[in-house]
Formats: sequence, C-alpha cells, structure tokens
Amino acid sequence: MDDPKLVEDIVHALDIEGGSAKRRPVHTIGIGATGVFEPSPVAKDFCTAEHFQPTEKPLEVAVRFSNGMGLVKEHDGWSDVRGMAVRFKLSNDRATDLISMTLPVFFAPTPETFLQFATAARPKECNRETPWQKIRDFLKLQIPMPDPYPGQETRPNEGATEFADKHAYAQPAVLQASVIGAPVSYVRASYHAVHTFIVTDPDGTDRWVRFNWQPIAGVLNTNPLDPPVGVYLKEDLEKRLAHGIERFSLMMTIGETGDDFNDSTKQWPPHRKRVMMGLLTLNDVPKDQEAHAEKLSFNPWLLTDGIRPSEDPVLKIRKDVYEFSSNRRGGIPCPFSGTEG
Amino acid sequence: MSDDGGWLNNYVNSLPERGWFKFLSKYVVVPYWVWREPKPKLPGGPRPSSQPSDNVQRMMNLLMPLKDTSPIGRAKAVMALAQNVDEIFAGLDNVGTVHSARFLLVEDYICMISVYDGDFSNYIRDFIATIGSVFDDLMHLVEGGEALYPCEDHVEEFIDWVKAHDLFQAPDYAINLLHVQDEAAGRSPDAPPHELLSLPRELILQLHSNRNISLGGGYRGYPGYSAAQVRDKLGVGW
Ligand code: HEM
Repeated sequence: MDDPKLVEDIVHALDIEGGSAKRRPVHTIGIGATGVFEPSPVAKDFCTAEHFQPTEKPLEVAVRFSNGMGLVKEHDGWSDVRGMAVRFKLSNDRATDLISMTLPVFFAPTPETFLQFATAARPKECNRETPWQKIRDFLKLQIPMPDPYPGQETRPNEGATEFADKHAYAQPAVLQASVIGAPVSYVRASYHAVHTFIVTDPDGTDRWVRFNWQPIAGVLNTNPLDPPVGVYLKEDLEKRLAHGIERFSLMMTIGETGDDFNDSTKQWPPHRKRVMMGLLTLNDVPKDQEAHAEKLSFNPWLLTDGIRPSEDPVLKIRKDVYEFSSNRRGGIPCPFSGTEG
Repeated sequence: MSDDGGWLNNYVNSLPERGWFKFLSKYVVVPYWVWREPKPKLPGGPRPSSQPSDNVQRMMNLLMPLKDTSPIGRAKAVMALAQNVDEIFAGLDNVGTVHSARFLLVEDYICMISVYDGDFSNYIRDFIATIGSVFDDLMHLVEGGEALYPCEDHVEEFIDWVKAHDLFQAPDYAINLLHVQDEAAGRSPDAPPHELLSLPRELILQLHSNRNISLGGGYRGYPGYSAAQVRDKLGVGW
C-alpha cells in the first residue's frame, strides 16, 4: 500500500451517519445477478484479454448493481449515482472486474483532492431554501436547490456545490450528479467505467480506452416530479429475471493523443472511435444474496493479461481503498487477499 | 419531487410554470440581465482541434435568411436548387470529404446541413470551386447575398459569411459553455471558476444572442472515420 493513511482517511471520509462499517461505505445497497458475456467478433482484434476471445461457451459473470449512497436504508427513488460491478469468470478460477457507475466523469483528479471533495461533500443538514431565496434565484435566472425529499435530513448537495464553485475540476461531475435522477430499473441505465485502461491487441499495439455498458432496453429515469418510491429496484430486477433476460452492450471508446488518459475529471468528446466489445446477458438473481452480492469484493485492479490500468492516480488508489473497505466489512473473497492488506 | 414545505413554498416552486411569472421573466428579468451581462454572439462551426476524430464528420448547419419569405420567394429557392441537382451531386462527389449534405427550407431560411471532414475554410473553398454556381443562384435570394456575388470573386468574404450564418455549436458537455464564453470574452482560463448555479443564466443569455444553435456536435454512428476511409473499407473507392 503506497499511503495507508490516505487510504484510511478516504474511507473514513466516505463513512456517513446512516451507514455502517459492516457494510460498504458507498454503494451500500445493492443486488447481485448472474449471467453470461459473449465478446463481439471484433473484440479480439482490439484486446488479447481472455474475456474478449471467442469461446464455445459464453463466459459466466457475476454482477452487482447498487445505489451510490452510503446509507443502509434504501432510497431507490432518490436522485443518486448507480453502480454496476461486473466480474468476468475466466479459466482456472481466475476473474477480472469492470466497475462502472452512471456518472461518466469523476469529482477529483487525485486522491488528495478527492479526500478534500469527500470531506466537503459529507452529507450535512438539508438547507431548504426559503421561498424568498428561491424567488431571488429565479430573478437571477438560476435554479434553486431542490427541496429535500420527504424524510431526508441530510444530503451532500450543498457541500458538493460549494466545493465545485471553488474547484473547476469538480464542476462536470457535480453538475451531472445533481441532475442524475433515479432509473426505473437497474437495467435501464448506462454505466461508465470512467477511468482509462490500456488494452493490448494481438500485434502488441496499446490503446488507451474507456468502457461503458449500454442497456439494450434503453435508458429511462423516473419522473422527478412524481413522489419518489422508496424501494423498487431489487424487486424490479428479480421480476425481470424471473421471467426473462436483460442485456447490456459493452462499448469501448478509444482515446487519442491529446486526450486526458490519467484524469477522470475530463470527459472525452463523444466523437472518439467506439468499438462494440460484447454482449452481457443477465438471467438470474441468485437467492443467496449474501454470497452473490454482499460478501463479494470487486476491485478495479482485478485485471488480466491484455488489459492494464492507466496512470490515473485515482484509479491507482482505488486498489487499496477497495481492499481496505472489503477487509473492514469482512468481504470475501478479496481479490487481493494474499497481498498485503 | 419535494417534501411539503408549506403553501408558500409550493406556490414559489410552481412560479416558473405560471403565466404571470413567465411574462415577468420574459419582459423584465431576461432583458435586465441581457443589459447587465450582454453576451457576444458566438461564431458558428466546430471549434479548432488538433485531434483526429474532432476533424472528421464535422457538422455544418448553415442557415441562409431568405429575402422573400412568401411562398413565391420560397419556391424560387427550391427552384434554384432543383435546377442544379447535377451540379450539387457532381460537386459533392468531387469535394470527396462530405459524408452527407442536404438542403432544407425551414421557416424563413434556406438551410444547408452537412457532415464533412477536415478544415472548415477549405471545405467552403472547395465548395465554391465545385458548386459555386449553385451558391451564385442562391445568393440572389438570400439577405446579404448580393455583396458576395459571384462567389468565385469573393472567396474569403463568402467564407466569413458562411461562418457567420453557420450555427454556433454548443459544447458537447454543458459545463463547457462557460469556458467557450470565457474564451470569447478573453477571460483567462486561470480565472476563478464560475458558480455552478450560474449556468442556466449563462445559457439563457447566450440563447438571447444565438437564437439558433446546434446542441453539441451531434451523434455519429461510426465516429472517428473519414468519408474516404469508409468508402475505401466498403470497397466503393474514390
Ligand atoms: C477515489 C475514488 C473512489 C473511491 C475512494 C471509491 C471508494 C469505494 C469504496 C470504498 C467502495 C466499497 C468497496 C467494498 O467495500 O467492496 C466502493 C464501491 C464501489 N465503487 Fe467506488 N470509489 C471511487 C471511485 C469510483 C469510480 C470512479 C467508480 C465508477 C467507475 C466507482 C464505482 C463503485 C462501485 C460500482 C462500487 C460498488 C461495488 C460493489 O458493488 O461491490 N467508484 N467505492
């Protein structure tokens, strides 16, 4: 571990009231599903990793969908980032993870600045704007802060916005997070792995890429003007997979010289070359959620030959942060157990 | 959706949808801000970039205001193009960098919407060389066109005119509007950031100056490839 104190500080900064050290500090609420992944016919031309090679039998995957916030109580209907962690099960009991979220861009370019952000954005008592403050906003052609949800006492919104007003790097993520809403289903959202990874093709050429899962069913949010429903996402997924399947395409965007490879606060323009790498088919929600979701420990550094992490310092520290968090909550199997904890 | 903060709070939340408040916003609030923080009209076309995929499949949205907007005037514009179909198709084939192009008659404009590769000025220059005659016909029908006739003798002026009538392309990511505005205003990139909540106002004020805009650079089905590469791969060559 490069800087154990920083790792610990970051996890503690993520711990919030209403969370639990026995659970994940963020993405606390989630549901596991299983399915298969089939690489597209062109995937192998871009990446030699095992999961992108043609196989007779599709690769098994374990997926965990989650709500980004760190509360143990479910608030599916609240506006929040969602997560999709995918584990591809490779041969010889090996695996590789791809962890993504509905926000396409990150809040801070380095672990240190992320710690500052996470500290500033710790949920605070909701500061409901008075009618007069709202009128003042309208007269300034601004949109007032949303009213708190019924029963919502604290939120990160005010602190995050205040931070972004001082730190331009946080603005893209804070802006997009502020309007992200709630998906009608975990399988009706698009998920971004955000960081840059380096894939190697059969000729040995490296490409700097970013991955994105796109739902075949299409992206659909709930109506933000309707009262938020407390709990529906798990049941929705169970129902869907009890009767059928749900699919996602894995898209890979190829960066170009001049793009930011090591800074995930910088989104690449949408005109970069894009390759369809494969199709994920979900077919079941296992009964034993403790084993298939709660105890699982994903890690963005669980990679395999043919794909490696960029030098993004945030990606770098995630290896230790996830490991520390997993150990703390007794997650098994930790992909890096065996390495120093 | 909010919790219930009382009737006054609910009433204030509904203000943006209330007729009297919309009236007030339109005739008082927006004009006040336009007076206080005027935004210069931002230029059309894609912004310069040295990166490959930014330089292919670029979008042109050229809105040329018709002099005569009556059905007769509109018919003249349609005729000018209909009589030049061969010129247009041959010209575009020869320019070689165009993925698609079409003319539209929308409200009081004759519009040319196209997707092309490479530099904007060179695209227009190629255009004049290959289908200048079509634009010559059109120039008689659009406002400010007379001064550009014949296009062949007014190449640089024509390019400037097209730039002025091509739609401003809003950045692909909303927040970057602030940066484009800053650049136009000569504000240093190191200046303190704008307040995030000011973005809606900045957008409204920009839309006052640029009534018509392109919302970002658009979607591409096969991003990053030039027309030449696509044709070559498809075996329909050049
Ligand atoms: C400095 C940056 C980040 C930190 C410190 C951080 C921290 C964490 C921690 C501590 C966990 C709990 C891990 C566990 O106990 O198993 C977690 C889970 C998760 N994070 Fe992050 N994260 C960061 C960036 C990101 C980014 C960029 C993404 C998306 C691309 C992301 C997506 C997720 C997801 C989906 C989960 C849930 C995984 C699961 O379902 O088990 N995180 N994160």
